[in-house]
Amino acid sequence: MAAVANTAAAGRKSFLRRNAVWWIALVLVMLLPQVAHSGTSIAVLNQMCIMVIFALSYNMLLGQGGMLSFGHAVYFGLGGYFAMHLIQLANAAHFFMPLPLTPLAGGLAGLMFGLIFGSFSTNRAGTVFAMISLGIGEMIASSSLIFTKFSGGEEGLTADRTDLTPFFGVNFGRDYQVYYLIAAWMILSAWLMYRFSRTPLGRMANAVRDNPERAEFVGYSQKRVRLLSFMAAGFFAGIAGGLFALNYEIVTDETVNLTTSGVVLLEAYIGGVGFFAGPIVGAVVYTLLQTLLSNYTEIWAFYVGLIFVATVMYAPAGLTGLIMMHQPIWRAGRLRSLALPYLQIGVPALCCAIGVIGLLELLHFISVRAVGKSTKHLFWTTIDVGHPTAWVVFALLAVGGFLAARRLAPRLAAAWGAATVDIHARGER
Amino acid sequence: MSAAIELVDLHKSFGSTQIIRGVNLAIERGERHAIIGPNGAGKSTLYNLITSKHVPTSGRIRLRGEDVTGRPPYKINRMGLARSFQVTNIFPRMTVFENVRCGLLWAMGYRYSFWHDVDRLDDVIERSMKVLEDIGMAARADVPAGVLSYAEQRELEIGITIAGGADIILLDEPTAGMNRSETAQTVELVRRITENKTLVMVEHDMSVVFGLADRISVLVYGEVIASGRPDEIRGNPAVREAYLGEEVD
Repeated sequence: MAAVANTAAAGRKSFLRRNAVWWIALVLVMLLPQVAHSGTSIAVLNQMCIMVIFALSYNMLLGQGGMLSFGHAVYFGLGGYFAMHLIQLANAAHFFMPLPLTPLAGGLAGLMFGLIFGSFSTNRAGTVFAMISLGIGEMIASSSLIFTKFSGGEEGLTADRTDLTPFFGVNFGRDYQVYYLIAAWMILSAWLMYRFSRTPLGRMANAVRDNPERAEFVGYSQKRVRLLSFMAAGFFAGIAGGLFALNYEIVTDETVNLTTSGVVLLEAYIGGVGFFAGPIVGAVVYTLLQTLLSNYTEIWAFYVGLIFVATVMYAPAGLTGLIMMHQPIWRAGRLRSLALPYLQIGVPALCCAIGVIGLLELLHFISVRAVGKSTKHLFWTTIDVGHPTAWVVFALLAVGGFLAARRLAPRLAAAWGAATVDIHARGER
Repeated sequence: MSAAIELVDLHKSFGSTQIIRGVNLAIERGERHAIIGPNGAGKSTLYNLITSKHVPTSGRIRLRGEDVTGRPPYKINRMGLARSFQVTNIFPRMTVFENVRCGLLWAMGYRYSFWHDVDRLDDVIERSMKVLEDIGMAARADVPAGVLSYAEQRELEIGITIAGGADIILLDEPTAGMNRSETAQTVELVRRITENKTLVMVEHDMSVVFGLADRISVLVYGEVIASGRPDEIRGNPAVREAYLGEEVD
């Protein structure tokens, strides 16, 4: 009852205080380029912001609505194509079209195609929905190479965003100008998507996800609830696609294909679909892995796959879930009691990770190396792959680390149990 | 005035198995009506037909004179008919408060709104709390529904059912699986919340049926063999033979 009273009271707090988290996010996002001001880091930030919107829109389906889509890139890519067409058209016909508004064209395209494809795919969630989404994804991906008048075929569509009429004197020729534009859209979209989750429709999307039959018996058509969520998700995916178009000034079939649909699923899941912030975490982590890790290793995508499988198996609530698990312990002031057990298991786990990574990198190296090349830089040392030493060391680290970590796991579990024992009891009351 | 619910020559078969074989029944407005019958008589099927979970093979269903046969459940609900489920059917990941709120959003006119903030809908919050008080669960408002005890989940189920203010309430074995004191409590609750409403319930427990119902219909092998006041049913020899046995005495 206390929390109900609190939510009611929260409703009356001032606009400024109620949205404190959003104001902080806004300030952070605005200050980021001061810290990371190189061209590369701005490019990474742009990509991150676009993926945050895309992943959040995906979670309106998976996390909020219980719809597992394998084809969400359709709305992202089509949004990109439509926004690009608008930019091209405005350039050719010289009509007034401020660049900051062009993502809306992408959003409207996403909304429209959400209505079209949602109208026959949202009757049920589950396998049927997933299969239809996959089919539509394949259909649109191939269409982008068939209807080349619209999509530009394999070369895709390109345009110069600076050809548009300057917006209050800004022509978005500089990368930081584009960043602020994308960041503003990100904050606005994220805020709107959060607000959506707190409306009657957003709440009933959860209800339909958890128990569609009951939702029908309190007056809601499960199909209509899913369709409206689906359209909203399409809208925000389209916005993200529109931002992609104006950022890269090129849209190709890659934006609509199944790989992109897979990436957004991966991001949302790794971040945690059960939390609003989950996809944000997922998009940030994925983009970092993609852009930074790829500087160090060619098989970064393999590691992302590993992380994904590990998440599904051991932390289905995602990275955000792992963090949030610690919140009650932190509140009880007992986080410190976990430090030693974490450290104890962390060392062998790290050894195991180093061993596995080492073996993978060596395997990759011998399969792609140039003839006669037998040394590889790895972990700040030069390794002779012809010599068995490195192989043996990595194998020992991997196996030994794994066995040690497994032996220490019960100790961590015990410490965890001790730290949470009366917290659960309190929740029960 | 037309009956609250009218069933006309209702049939339902699953494959070649006939479950409901020609039921004619009129349930008047404001009446508490119990449907009883031995196991396998088709009580639950009949119940699911009335609430449109199943579509009848033939026959008509009328709600206040309007033919509603084959309409989807959400349309039936919007006409003021609400049902509970035999197997507890709540939203387990939401709190008790949110469960009740789901039950009344449509009825209070918020429909598919994506422009209202649910945390600021004072009328919704107030009415949800009122329902929680009615079912005696106000103190449990913030508990996730999934961790409630069985009896509490059943009460919450009734709470969701009545939250929308429907005037025709259908309850499917509201006291199944409850102990004596929980049963007594639930009977009291049902009596209170169905004041001036039409109640249709399927129930096994004879003390519950005879304590609550104004009229009773006895279903045997998919047919209504008797329908009348509790004392008439008690004295009906066919009913005694078919179903009640010595239980009544």
